[in-house]
Amino acid sequence: MSELLHFSEHTLQEVALGFMALVYTIRIIWFLGFKAGGDRQAETGPPSTTPAKGVLYSWANIAMPWAMESTRRQYILYAQFVVFHIGVTAAIALSFIIPYGPGLLENQASVLILQIIIGGAFLVGVVRFVRRVGNRYMRAISSPDDYFSLVLLTVWFFFAFLAVPNQTSGGEWHLLGFFIMTAFFLVYVPFSKISHYLYYPFTRYYLGKTMGHRGVYPVGRA
Amino acid sequence: MSEQTTRSHKAEKVLERMGQKLNRQMVGSLLACVHCGLCTETCHYVLANPGDPTYAPAYKGDLIRKLFKRHFDWTGRVFPWWVKAGSVWTDEELEELKDTVFGKCTNCRRCSLNCPMGVDLATFNRMARGLLVSVGIMPEGVAVVSKDQWEIGNQMGVLKEDYLETLEWMAEELQDELDDPEVDIPIDQTDCEVVYYINPREVKYDPRSISDAAKIFHVAGESWTMPSEGWDMTNFGLFSGDDALGGSVAQRLYEKVSELRGKRLVISECGHGFRSTRCEGPNWARYDVPFVMESSIFTMLRYIKEGRIKVDKTRNSRPVTYHDSCNMGRSCGMFEEPRELLELVCSDFREMHPNRAENYCCTGGGGAMSMSEYTPRRLKSGIIKANQLKETGAEIVVTSCHNCVDGLTDVIRHYELGIEVTQLVNLVANALVIEPKVAIPVEEVVEEMVAEALPLAGRTILVADDEPDQLEYLATVFEDNGATVLRAVDGDEALAMATSEKPDLLTLDLEMPGKNVGEVFQILRENPELESLKVCVITGRPELRKLIYDRSVRRPEGYLDKPVTEEQLLINVRKILELAHDEAAAGAEGTP
Repeated sequence: MSELLHFSEHTLQEVALGFMALVYTIRIIWFLGFKAGGDRQAETGPPSTTPAKGVLYSWANIAMPWAMESTRRQYILYAQFVVFHIGVTAAIALSFIIPYGPGLLENQASVLILQIIIGGAFLVGVVRFVRRVGNRYMRAISSPDDYFSLVLLTVWFFFAFLAVPNQTSGGEWHLLGFFIMTAFFLVYVPFSKISHYLYYPFTRYYLGKTMGHRGVYPVGRA
Repeated sequence: MSEQTTRSHKAEKVLERMGQKLNRQMVGSLLACVHCGLCTETCHYVLANPGDPTYAPAYKGDLIRKLFKRHFDWTGRVFPWWVKAGSVWTDEELEELKDTVFGKCTNCRRCSLNCPMGVDLATFNRMARGLLVSVGIMPEGVAVVSKDQWEIGNQMGVLKEDYLETLEWMAEELQDELDDPEVDIPIDQTDCEVVYYINPREVKYDPRSISDAAKIFHVAGESWTMPSEGWDMTNFGLFSGDDALGGSVAQRLYEKVSELRGKRLVISECGHGFRSTRCEGPNWARYDVPFVMESSIFTMLRYIKEGRIKVDKTRNSRPVTYHDSCNMGRSCGMFEEPRELLELVCSDFREMHPNRAENYCCTGGGGAMSMSEYTPRRLKSGIIKANQLKETGAEIVVTSCHNCVDGLTDVIRHYELGIEVTQLVNLVANALVIEPKVAIPVEEVVEEMVAEALPLAGRTILVADDEPDQLEYLATVFEDNGATVLRAVDGDEALAMATSEKPDLLTLDLEMPGKNVGEVFQILRENPELESLKVCVITGRPELRKLIYDRSVRRPEGYLDKPVTEEQLLINVRKILELAHDEAAAGAEGTP
């Protein structure tokens, strides 16, 4: 392993992770600086709807495609979402496995599974990009950050796919590409839409609490 | 485009106040949108306007989000173009924002419940409305209604004497109907179990819902009252985003109930009234309400379950469907109670699809009925509701919201569905089983019937309408009920006949050839010889109301949307004429 690759796998990642953690901490402190709205009204709705149940339902909503009409009807988009995000998780895991647990990749089955997941996510990234460019509604709501973030992740998946076997016999460029992109990704994320997962627990918490208090969550359907 | 260096005063204030309005929930919603587009097809405006992305919830949200990003979020401050952050500089830009937040969204919350990220567009759209209202930028109807609610205390500008006279009149009707002189609509009684609050629309256009509610309270043996002041449970603060108005109106209600030492505030069937009074009011007013607040739906259901009233569902045998009000349902969780009640009082209830939390807006939500400039857009979006209604095969659609009654009526008329709109209180009252108290001799009944048969006897009514069918329909109803009818087919003729014949009442279509109807109305109002002339607008073009209501003369005494049923027509016309009679009598008494 070259010094550059070693640096990319370790020092660069640690610095990038530290930077991300710092920015995220500042971000959360800033966010929590806004006052939380209260709700003085007495609870409404059936006993099956409470603030606590509302919050749990709201958090779990994303894993219940049947719960919302949008995900129920547009199930292909939902499936793409699942594949894409599992791919992200796998690629992030890979950025730790290669430097800290390379032995896990000696098992060919593990390599194959990771490549299928990450390869699938790459294909979804391409499909999503085509949709964002080709769909009139998507174009109207997209910002440069939306396009860039999607391209960034899709290219990152490509390098991750190549990096999974952790082989340097054909050169190190694919591993270098993966780790340099990972570092860039970690630094860029707090400033981009990709940081949505940081806010997800909060938006879902407050919506769930309000809707649970008001008898809407969990949603009952005929 | 390069950014301007000077910002208008209004734009400056909007941005300054945005900072004061932001709370954690709103900031979360403003930050979390990933532009996935899943919300797009959940909006009835989008579905009715295919290919126009400006109706997409994420697009609409971005018009507000861009301000947040530019002024409060770091990436947007440093690299605005990268995240589509932007500012507002001119009043024209604020007007454009107004067009979207008021004219392209009814705050129905359907997209909010369909967003995987939990972005609540309805909440920050309301915030944007409030910001614009705070600098005086709003649809004219919103300004007028808000002013009435601030100054007169109710959103339709109903005067206290008109309100009290209507209650008195409804009590008399009820006494006649039940043949019981003891039946009353109590006003300002203290220590009652129930203090009943209504929508001013009931006083103006639908007094039958008041007498129906009174009938139910009477039969249930309830200890109840209505307040003489602060009786309007609607709250335009919800629609305009004006928390100060919302809090003031809500507090007025709460304090009146406390003053009367009422145990329970019962809210008549009104979606936004229920949400404002029951859910949002305590927050806006920062008031911990010491009594129970409930919708009349709960009250009626409880009466049936407790055996306090008996109902016969076969009396409502026509096929009925139910429209979930957005404010009642998606914002307050009331889904099952209305259905339970409908199953008890109707023999043929059919579900509408989608329903409950997934139901589509009636198109009249968010105060849309008061924004006549957006009527064509609203009616176009109504195709989604119209298709939903048609597929049920129902003859009657029931809703627990007065806004929805008006919204649905407009949609039904526009798409010629021929469906009747009603409320649960009307069905429950119709299904009431009332044991007769005393047998009345047949002769007396016949005499009463003869006396009741011609309620408009001795009245002269001028009907002005250019549609021959409509003219004949109205004239026939009035003639059959004893009135002398004059007919006019254009503005000039209406003016000439009203001046020469001095009828008791003029029913006025808003769209007729000849002289502009607004001018005709103003000339009549300014003629001192016609001071006693009552005017009832009957129109199929509600967007033309401005022709009349924007004038600085006394408003019409009545307003009805076409098509109007015989029952609605008679109730309203009788009310106008009987109030006129009472005024004349009071005037005579007061003459030295």
